[in-house]
Amino acid sequence: MTVATATIKPRRRRMPVTVILGLGLAVVIAAASLLAPYLTPFDPMRMAAGPRLAAPSIAHPFGTDEFGRDLLSRVLTGGRLSLGIGIAAVVSGLVVGGLLGLLAAFAGRAVEAVLLRVVDVLYSFPDTLIALALVAFLGPGIENATLAIAISLVPFYARVTYGLAAAERAKPYIEAARLAGINSGRLVRVHVMPNIGQSLIVMGTLGFSSAILSAAGLSFLGLGVQPPSPEWGAILASGRNYITKAPWILIFPGLAICLTVLSFNLIGDSLRDLVDPRRKGRP
Amino acid sequence: MLFLISKRVLAAFATVIAVIILSGILIHVVPGDPVTAMMAQSVSATPEAMADMRARLGLDLPVWQQVGLYAWHVLQGDFGRSIRGNESVAWLLLQRLPNTFSLAVCGLTVALAIGIPLGFLAAIKRGRLADTAVMVIAVLGVSIPAFWLGLIMIQVFSLKLGWLPVAGSSWRNIILPALTLGLTYCALVARMTRSALIEVLAEDYIRTARARGLRERQVLLVHALRPALISIVTVVGLVFAYLLGGQVIIENVFSWNGIGRLAVQAMLERDYPMIQGFIVVFATSVVIVSMLIDILYGFLDPRMRQR
Repeated sequence: MTVATATIKPRRRRMPVTVILGLGLAVVIAAASLLAPYLTPFDPMRMAAGPRLAAPSIAHPFGTDEFGRDLLSRVLTGGRLSLGIGIAAVVSGLVVGGLLGLLAAFAGRAVEAVLLRVVDVLYSFPDTLIALALVAFLGPGIENATLAIAISLVPFYARVTYGLAAAERAKPYIEAARLAGINSGRLVRVHVMPNIGQSLIVMGTLGFSSAILSAAGLSFLGLGVQPPSPEWGAILASGRNYITKAPWILIFPGLAICLTVLSFNLIGDSLRDLVDPRRKGRP
Repeated sequence: MLFLISKRVLAAFATVIAVIILSGILIHVVPGDPVTAMMAQSVSATPEAMADMRARLGLDLPVWQQVGLYAWHVLQGDFGRSIRGNESVAWLLLQRLPNTFSLAVCGLTVALAIGIPLGFLAAIKRGRLADTAVMVIAVLGVSIPAFWLGLIMIQVFSLKLGWLPVAGSSWRNIILPALTLGLTYCALVARMTRSALIEVLAEDYIRTARARGLRERQVLLVHALRPALISIVTVVGLVFAYLLGGQVIIENVFSWNGIGRLAVQAMLERDYPMIQGFIVVFATSVVIVSMLIDILYGFLDPRMRQR
């Protein structure tokens, strides 16, 4: 295996504060969501766990919703749904997009030209729009929303992977490996992947925040996760009719989305500068 | 220049054709039978009515023929008729287009009016407190879901303070949704402006201007602003596309009578001809805007014309 150590220059600096902050937030949110069944004071679906539209109190720290369900329990449980959709969409989008990107970079001129053209066209449309259009035909629901978001991320990941792979393709060690008679498949697997894998994972975190936002948006419109499931966007959609009487239904799920997206943006943004070949040497 | 324009126009036309064909194909990814899905919410779902619908949508023809026929009709401006209300899809979309467009332009104006100065400030004060502050605002801005910001704006400005109406389509009603869109996307504009200006400030001619003893103000306003603005033009196209995407949700939050609201209604009702029409019209808007931006870029930057 050839490892070109020059790909990612490990700058001898301390880890940026933003990365630490983002990582801390992400760990707390992931832990809270994973441990939700043990942490939640009430069953998130149980109606009349308290009075209806009750303000935050010691018994119900986030208050209750229009059916008297405990909002803290719903927000914590909702985290499992949001993070789950995000992870599933990012992983499948990254795998498909990554394969397309590698194919474009290593399968010859014709494939490269066609794939790049298609990806560029798709990339010019906002991912929310692609996800919306797909869900419109697939129908609402958690699986369809996840699938739609995954597909909407494919152009982004294909573009990024192609960029990284094309930069790698020009390096002498690839030429040496080719001259040694290695076929393209093995070349990509053994030599290219280890060198761009790290960068791809960083780009994965950037897609994650946009996946969470899309999922919340779709559910808010009634096209994603369906009520009574406590997805954050879905809680906001059902709570919007009570915003005068019970603003806490609006505040807590919204803050949960913000903090989750923020944590991944903080991590991804700071690390991207280190790995994105197009940004290298640029501010 | 003429070559550049014709190349861009042709590429845009090809993209629109591809989108039309794609949205013609999409109806076939509907799990199960699209007619059953559409009629599921209707009381008049007799076998006769369903067969009639199938014939009307041409669903009894082979797939390639359906898609070809759909593309042919769309190119003539015929998007079919909506399932609910049996109205012309093209007419329904056309009626709402001015509303969607005016909101998008107002939102973009707000985003540029806030984002460009902030980006400039950050680039000039690079590495200092003002820069950090702007970048923190920018990362917060891209992390806040637009629809949540919209709900909070309604809560504060309409319900608590009573300054602006909650919903409707008069000029007073455009303020809150435009502000919401603008605030959401100004972060993106600020970041891109910052990196564009930082790149320009690293150029040799800026160093020359400074070496000639020009005042910093003059260097920035005369020598750096123009080339930076050129790259900001491309940003505008990109932001506009994203803004249109976000606008679908915002129109629903503020009950703004635009295409986005119509589309989500159609999506919830499974009105496929309507959804197809929405996809084609929305995608075409994105394509036309990015084409115009490309051509404008050619006018502004002489280097582009020679390619």
